[in-house]
Amino acid sequence: MARDLTELTRIIRRIEAKSRQRPPAPPARSLEALLDGAVEETERGKLLVVRRRFPVDHCHGAQSLLAARDATPEALALLSRTGEAPAAGRRLLYLDTETTGLAGGTGTYAFLVGVGFFDGDDFEVRQFFMRDLDEEPGLLTALEAMFREFDGFVTYNGAGFDLPLLETRFVLGRRRFPGEVFHLDLLGPARRLWSARLDDCRLGTVEQTILRFIRDDDLPGALIPTVYFEYLRRKQPHELPRIFEHNRHDILSLAALTGWVADAVVRAPVSDLEPEALAGLGRLLEAAEPERSLACYRMALDAGLAAPFRERLLLRLAQGEKRRARWDEARALWEAAARAPRDFDPRPWEEIAKVHEHRRRDLAAARSVVEEALALARRHRASERVLAAFEHRLERLGRRLERAVVLSGARQPA
Amino acid sequence: MQIRELLDELLTSLETGPLISAVRHFEAKPAVFASFPSSLDPRIVEALKDRGVEQLYSHQASAFETAAKGEHLVVVTPTASGKTLCYNLPVLQALVQQPEARVLYLFPTKALAQDQLAELTELAKSLPDMRMFTYDGDTPQDARRSVRARANLVLTNPDMLHSGILPHHTKWVNLFQNLKYVVIDELHAYRGVFGSHLANVLRRLKRICRHYGASPQFIMASATIANPGDLAQRLTGETVVELAESGAPTGEKTFMVYNPPVVNPELGIRAPYLGEASKLAARFLRQKVATIVFCQSRLSTEVVLSTIKKMVEDKTGDSGIVRGYRGGYLPLRRREVEQGLRSGEVLGVVSTSALELGIDIGHLDLAVLAGYPGTIASMWQQAGRAGRRTGESAAVMVATSSPMDQYLAAHPDYLFGAPPEHARVNPENPFILINHVKCAAFELPLGADEAFGGDVSAHMEALEDEGVLHRAGEHFHWSSETYPADHISLRTVTSDNFLVIDTTARDARQVKRRQIIAEVDWKSAFAMIYPKAIYMVEGEPFEVQELHYREDEEKVAYVKKVVVDYFTDAITAKGVWILQRFGRQETPGLLAEQGEVLVAEKVVGFKKIKMGTLENVGSGEVELPQQEMQTTSAWLTLDPALLAQISPRRDDLVDGLRALSHLLHSLAPTFLLCDIRDVGSWLGDGSPSQAGQVVTRETMRAQLMQGETFTPTIYLYDNQPGGIGLAERIFEVLPDLLARGFETLEACGCRSGCPSCAGPVNEVGRQAKPIAMNILKRLVPRR
Repeated sequence: MARDLTELTRIIRRIEAKSRQRPPAPPARSLEALLDGAVEETERGKLLVVRRRFPVDHCHGAQSLLAARDATPEALALLSRTGEAPAAGRRLLYLDTETTGLAGGTGTYAFLVGVGFFDGDDFEVRQFFMRDLDEEPGLLTALEAMFREFDGFVTYNGAGFDLPLLETRFVLGRRRFPGEVFHLDLLGPARRLWSARLDDCRLGTVEQTILRFIRDDDLPGALIPTVYFEYLRRKQPHELPRIFEHNRHDILSLAALTGWVADAVVRAPVSDLEPEALAGLGRLLEAAEPERSLACYRMALDAGLAAPFRERLLLRLAQGEKRRARWDEARALWEAAARAPRDFDPRPWEEIAKVHEHRRRDLAAARSVVEEALALARRHRASERVLAAFEHRLERLGRRLERAVVLSGARQPA
Repeated sequence: MQIRELLDELLTSLETGPLISAVRHFEAKPAVFASFPSSLDPRIVEALKDRGVEQLYSHQASAFETAAKGEHLVVVTPTASGKTLCYNLPVLQALVQQPEARVLYLFPTKALAQDQLAELTELAKSLPDMRMFTYDGDTPQDARRSVRARANLVLTNPDMLHSGILPHHTKWVNLFQNLKYVVIDELHAYRGVFGSHLANVLRRLKRICRHYGASPQFIMASATIANPGDLAQRLTGETVVELAESGAPTGEKTFMVYNPPVVNPELGIRAPYLGEASKLAARFLRQKVATIVFCQSRLSTEVVLSTIKKMVEDKTGDSGIVRGYRGGYLPLRRREVEQGLRSGEVLGVVSTSALELGIDIGHLDLAVLAGYPGTIASMWQQAGRAGRRTGESAAVMVATSSPMDQYLAAHPDYLFGAPPEHARVNPENPFILINHVKCAAFELPLGADEAFGGDVSAHMEALEDEGVLHRAGEHFHWSSETYPADHISLRTVTSDNFLVIDTTARDARQVKRRQIIAEVDWKSAFAMIYPKAIYMVEGEPFEVQELHYREDEEKVAYVKKVVVDYFTDAITAKGVWILQRFGRQETPGLLAEQGEVLVAEKVVGFKKIKMGTLENVGSGEVELPQQEMQTTSAWLTLDPALLAQISPRRDDLVDGLRALSHLLHSLAPTFLLCDIRDVGSWLGDGSPSQAGQVVTRETMRAQLMQGETFTPTIYLYDNQPGGIGLAERIFEVLPDLLARGFETLEACGCRSGCPSCAGPVNEVGRQAKPIAMNILKRLVPRR
């Protein structure tokens, strides 16, 4: 981490030093030529628009865009947080913004807004760019017109970042932002599927490992504001194409990834996935399709899901059985979870003890479970609270057992 | 027993009578009523009658009428005069009659906002469509969205407006579009740096309102200060009507000054004022007189509280009738104390100035001021905490041994005759202004010729050079990745509070469970919760075991409950270094300069002080990082030749200079009309080689004595980071300050220094006073 930061600082310094060295001469080529775009005029001012078209079977890494185009509304509904399906037709915009920072609030601009959409046999990426901060009215006007033609957004962390930021820009510009539309934020499904396997769930990480797409000379996202500010101040656009490329790749990854997960969620359970992803698919399907979800979970366990995900899943399944009052099934799952090799988790032990005490009315068995748990907890140096809870339970069981003995003794015929 | 009899007893008893150095009597004043204004909505009249209000006081009615005319206004009336109705009536009227209308209330503290919300809720419970919420640092994240969507009355504080609301104004469109009133209570609290910030925050607020097409009316309320109307205009940038005639009745009131007995005439030492204040309060509490004691610091609050508790505890050892109250207590505890005071369950409270503000604690009979609170305005505000609309009340100020207090005890005419202080603000202070220009640009691009208070084009250009603003067309846009409000604090305290966690606490089931018992702000933390410190909460001692303060750590102090009979007082090391010289004036023997300095402080150890007797019973060492502040200062360097004429002995000279520094520091507030704590002083070495290292006073003394060159320098600096102009003022009045110092030494009857002049002799040394006098005699021109 520390190395990354110093590295970053060095890069920033280099960029700044470079731009200082260069005399602020007018650029050799026009911005339009450099970016291969066109200046467009709206009723609220100008902006620069760059368009690129890709064939619909374009492969982004190992993934064809076709799967995204062919994703069914039902599949997309399974992925979206609300479980709501997009309106009929497939008018979804894959959207990603490049901003002047991550701080949020009214002082952060979205200076480049990229959208992707399917159009006949093509996938088009259209990028709206403000050449200076006073072109925002033009950019918003163009976006507003664009948004009107579509029924929803697909983003990566858009719920937390891109959409609120755009909404702020729209409100500032005194315009209406399309609030209540379908939104699929892929960050959620990505976390379910891959957080166990990947160090982080950033789009860059996911596209590399899952889509096998390798970016060539990518501009790190953290540098984008600096590059844009440098361009604003010195009118040196040389680094700008790299921002556009970065944004374009993000949008292609968005579409490719949508295809990948929509496909997986339709086919699940399938044995060509690793157990962690299967468990994640189980979670995605849980509410809407419990049967298929359970099948994914089983397959994940059979395929050797590793700790601590195995124990987490077992607890989750046990919870389900408990809700259905299937105590033996629940107990079997808790017992499997209790034997976790590494860490000590008090929860399954408590549950097992409760089953013995309250369901099976076997106080002795309950006590021996608690004794075992307490010994284990001590060996694992569990927190004082955990120990105290077990001790408390043990004490109570002890008293109940004693009373039970006395009672049964009293009942003995003379 | 009636308070009258108790006061008589105090005045006439042989023991205490001679210690009362001044008494003033204030007659009762009858009420001036007014009928409900005819335009006041009948539903509001009904709600008032439900609460037993059958008519208004004259100032409440005229506030309503002034607001109805569309004018900005400030109401200046004493404590307990019903000033909240002055703003609540027009506000409720607007909310009842205009469903779209929105209102914003600003209070200096979160506690006051809570308090006011409770009062409003009670008053408005029968009124339709009231959606009132507080919105501040305590509002849970998940509740914020709904507050933004629903509220038509938002209660908050300037800090939250500055960093949480204005920079996100697009989420508050409804509020800003329809903002009818902005209510600012406790206006007098916004002076100095804080007030200068608020003036700029209000400029930003007005700017955002303009963007959404609204122009709100300001309704303000202030305690008595010299210039409420002027302050209100400076803060809001509007023409403001001042309403200063209170129609509320007041009961009879007695104000006394109590000067603790001299216990050692030779050394000029008086009995400790904290003990005397405790005794006085206990004496009244035992007779069931509801009493509030005001202390000057959090530590003295705790010391006085535990002393009083011991004096008033019943046979079972219960002393719950007296509670403590100060910043740092958790909100729940504070609410409990406030509630207890209102219901009468709690009879007495020991507080810092935290209770000086308008928190509703019902009516009390006696206020004991443990020491002069630093300003005349504060003094009346604190004294006003005791007082009923009918019946008698009293205030007793117990003088400390500081020159200021002793002067006031000896000159009651000055004390009772002096006008309350001016509240001064300087919104154009460049340090403050430039920060708010940044915030304003962040919120909405600034027009190239847009005024912000005044012309700020130079500021915008400077910020563009700096790279945080960018000009595109006719506007300057924010062009940085940062969020400027996060880096600008309206008060000198940072938001990084330390939690104090008791590791020995147990829950109801006797299971050990760590418990948060208090909060300490960053600035005070190192002097209050260093390892081994005794930290007291409502008089109960805890010992600090660990303090986690590193940047990557959660800011926490772990403490354990202990049984001890001492408290601890931090020993700090200090250093002052000159960064930049702004002004210089040379007179024979003296070089006076003024400029920017760096003041560094570090807690290096502590003294253990026995409860009750206050004697020193031990000490300890502490290892903590240094805290630094950049500020402005005036400094005096004496000509070595002059010093050589006075004495050949450096140690005596150092003592004399230390006495001089003590004297000038304690007299400066009388010129600046500020609190003594607003100014700091330090006797340091002016030679540049000494820069960079903090030392205790004792080490500094040794350094000065052994140094190769002898260039002792007295610094008098502004205690606000960045400075608020106090140092410049000291520099201006220096000749008068030196003359006053000479008069004070000459007039004081002691032989070798006492707390009222050069400092206690056993602290400054036997030669200190004569040498200080000798120095001053040569510096002050003969008349």
